[in-house]
Amino acid sequence: MCDTCGCGDSGELKIHDRQTTHDHTHDHGHSHDHSHTHGPGSVLFMNTHDQPASKVINLNLDILSENNRIARINRHVFKEQKILGLNLVSSPGSGKTSILEITIKALISKRRIVVIEGDQQTLLDADRIEKAGAPAIQINTGSGCHLDARMVETAFKKLCAQPDSILFIENVGNLVCPAMFDLGEFKRVVVISVTEGEDKPLKYPYMFQSSHLCLINKSDLLPYVDFNTDKAMEYARSLNPAMEFIVVSAKTGDGMDQWYEWLGKQQVLMSSGTV
Amino acid sequence: MHEFSMALEVINLARREAEKNMAATVQEITIEVGDLSGVEADAFESALGLLVKDSILCNAILTIVRTAGKGICIACNHEFEMVQRMATCPICHCFPSKISGGEEFRVVSLVVE
Repeated sequence: MCDTCGCGDSGELKIHDRQTTHDHTHDHGHSHDHSHTHGPGSVLFMNTHDQPASKVINLNLDILSENNRIARINRHVFKEQKILGLNLVSSPGSGKTSILEITIKALISKRRIVVIEGDQQTLLDADRIEKAGAPAIQINTGSGCHLDARMVETAFKKLCAQPDSILFIENVGNLVCPAMFDLGEFKRVVVISVTEGEDKPLKYPYMFQSSHLCLINKSDLLPYVDFNTDKAMEYARSLNPAMEFIVVSAKTGDGMDQWYEWLGKQQVLMSSGTV
Repeated sequence: MHEFSMALEVINLARREAEKNMAATVQEITIEVGDLSGVEADAFESALGLLVKDSILCNAILTIVRTAGKGICIACNHEFEMVQRMATCPICHCFPSKISGGEEFRVVSLVVE
């Protein structure tokens, strides 16, 4: 007899839950259509225990395992084709698209660049990128708040990127959800702007812990705001000691040469198989 | 917001596993949600509750097991409970710490038939 709900227990079906400690079988011959809770768990819907031959599957499987599997495929494909995949993340309005526009204009004569744009709606960003001179595919996520690996896999196929290209994946403006989804990128670049406040890294630790480079944008506005650049870097490093920083202005072009140098370095690292 | 995507992932994962095991329904599902996983357990449960209709999980009992966050100080190796990702070691007051538990977000088990 199950101590929790009183139903019979013939020893076949086992639920191993270290908090609920409620192991029992549900293969008894009678039906009882009560709903019951299992310790801290809850009943989604009415439970009817009237069918035999139940089976326990112990999985211990990461819920993002399917996304991560596709991300690994993306990463492999990018590496095979010598594509430098970079995932650009930020809150809305930090200047990701502006940074990409000026980057494309500066580098397109020397380097192949392709872009995957993620937004909830509109083709506006892809239009801006194409006007700047690079092929772009827009993903509209609708109500979705992030890109996932499958969206990138599908969009990348449509791009027909040449080998040795830089692939910029501009994620949906959101410092929370995109942190959880590996897209198969070589590096993740988080953009913050000086109008946002230097405590952003502490407020959104997942994103800053999972990124490799932090671009601090809109440096031309530093004289007019109270943003403390050193403090922002200190906060980000307290979460992620390996984080690199480049202070830039997509408006004036300040600091952009350092960003281009960083991109060149990543292409070399990626080609040589060094992470 | 991403809790909805996660809930969909769970439904797809449960369907795949049920198919693999030639099962028609899932009776129970146990999910572990770590306190440092980036997933809000309550929001996730609400999302799953909204999305299970007409899915393989429509009659399933959901059990969510919460796992506390744990960290190991990189300076003194002391392991301590972390309630947030940015935590100072209670012994030597150094940071950052290496997260050693609480990042889990996984399906522990299914009961199918």
